[in-house]
Amino acid sequence: MNDLWTNRLSEYLDGELDSTERAALEAHLATCGACYATLSELRGVVAYAKTLVDSEPATDLWPDIRARLVQGSEPRRHASGVRSRRFTFTVPQLLAASIALVLLSSGGAYMALRPGTSKVTPQPAAVRQQGIMTVANVDRGTTDAAIADLQATLTQNESRLDTTTVRIVRQNLAIIDRAIVEARIALQKDPGNAYLNLHLADTMRRKVELLRRVNDIAAQS
Amino acid sequence: MVATLAAAMLVAVASQRQTDTTFAVPAGASLSVNNFGGGIAVHAWNENRVKVHGDVGRRGRVEVSLVGNTVVVKTGSREGAPSVIDLDITVPRSMGLTLGGTYADVTVEGVQGPISAETVNGEINVRGGKGIITLHSIQGSVTLADASGRIEVNSVNEAIELSNVTGEIKVETTNGEVTLTGIQSSSVDAGTINGDVVYEGTVTDGGSYSFGSHNGDITVSIPERANVTVTVATANGDIDASFPLPMTSTAGRHRKTFKIGTGSARMELESFQGDIELRRPQEIRERIDEHKRDHHNDNDNDHDSDRDTSFSSHFDAGTWDYAARYAKAYAPKYAKAYAPLYARTYARTYARTYKRAYRDTDTTSH
Repeated sequence: MNDLWTNRLSEYLDGELDSTERAALEAHLATCGACYATLSELRGVVAYAKTLVDSEPATDLWPDIRARLVQGSEPRRHASGVRSRRFTFTVPQLLAASIALVLLSSGGAYMALRPGTSKVTPQPAAVRQQGIMTVANVDRGTTDAAIADLQATLTQNESRLDTTTVRIVRQNLAIIDRAIVEARIALQKDPGNAYLNLHLADTMRRKVELLRRVNDIAAQS
Repeated sequence: MVATLAAAMLVAVASQRQTDTTFAVPAGASLSVNNFGGGIAVHAWNENRVKVHGDVGRRGRVEVSLVGNTVVVKTGSREGAPSVIDLDITVPRSMGLTLGGTYADVTVEGVQGPISAETVNGEINVRGGKGIITLHSIQGSVTLADASGRIEVNSVNEAIELSNVTGEIKVETTNGEVTLTGIQSSSVDAGTINGDVVYEGTVTDGGSYSFGSHNGDITVSIPERANVTVTVATANGDIDASFPLPMTSTAGRHRKTFKIGTGSARMELESFQGDIELRRPQEIRERIDEHKRDHHNDNDNDHDSDRDTSFSSHFDAGTWDYAARYAKAYAPKYAKAYAPLYARTYARTYARTYKRAYRDTDTTSH
């Protein structure tokens, strides 16, 4: 992977490269599968992020945000008053971004099943509002923590599912876990390998999606 | 219309084992079915009427109502635990379907509308469908044939098979094979953790194709005149093609890129443990046919051996000794190899057999 171009992919996607840079990058993409793969992932993440629905917060968050920004400059606002969504990632952030988006989109079922909350508890508005920030900051550590939370929630709600389903789900989670371990071992030997990074991220995403799906089923039972 | 459907309102009474009703529906009406356990079979006909047939046993019941423009079919139990009910529903050909169950097998035949089907423990088999088609099962294989539109198919613990499907395709399972044949698409995304992935279909200029597995092999067809940039990645497997591959770049030990023709389409093939094979479409079709023949013969042989108990008389003592040593040496190896291959097939067969037995017991014991 060419670091020079990899770090410009986000700008390319946002249309912020000049024509010369754009042409050079496109020429590079035609011959670099790694950069092309990264760009494809980035496109997928951005497309998915754009599908997230903007919602009004339950409470006005702006006073708190402004208080935290008091030492900085006021954020620029578009003339129209509507801020367009812009998503810029570095490669490590990108690896976790797709997982984070799955987590964000699965928040409803997760929150519904979380011990101590009502089944109809909505996803906190703050989480939705801060989604981009969460995406940008997430790393594998937080993904592991989120998986652990989802898994704990499932453990507590397994009684809503029949034993066959629980057994099948456990078997398949074990299959995914083995894949994650194997990918991690391979990455330890070759930390800079883009394929292994993406493969690990994708395998973790699958685990999140399976947990989310089973939690959804438990919530409906 | 309300009067029509009110007349069709169906609640099975205790003395009935079956229910049967037919009623007219307005154009554009859709169908929503929720059946906890049993089967949901939907067929199409060229009439603007819906026919609902249910095998409900003694305790089961079927309710049909109209909510908005949706015909809603629900099953339930008159007492105690949920009943096992088989529904057979005939609908207008273009009707949209939303089918859900927990222990329900879902079958759809000939419908040309959008289809959503979701079950937890059961197979989903759909022939037909047009528009948005989403099929989800946890423990059960999913097959889709002769469909077109935006396709999303998921299983967890079983295989997925798509044939003669046109449109945007996204397929994912965890523990099962993914087989896509006769596909016409410019966008395909298919993956599994534990299983092989096979793709035989078009590679359209400008299209996007992604196939991945952790433990299985990836086999894809590349038509003779395809224009595609293929990126191949594997950690521990081999890459093989039955035609020359002009390599354009290599990134580390694990990723290689090949440009075929103008390279217009993009194809990503990734397997952590498995091999990656690029073949011509005909090779894959022949391989699939061969696999089906072998599978068919295996079933025949199993059937024969179950019944044939006379073979032992053909062996003498020396042969038996050899056979015993042979069996001791190779049994663990073959058991290990065959168990994953046949366990699912036998599990399905026995599940069906015992489900029927259970249902018969359920209906005769009252």
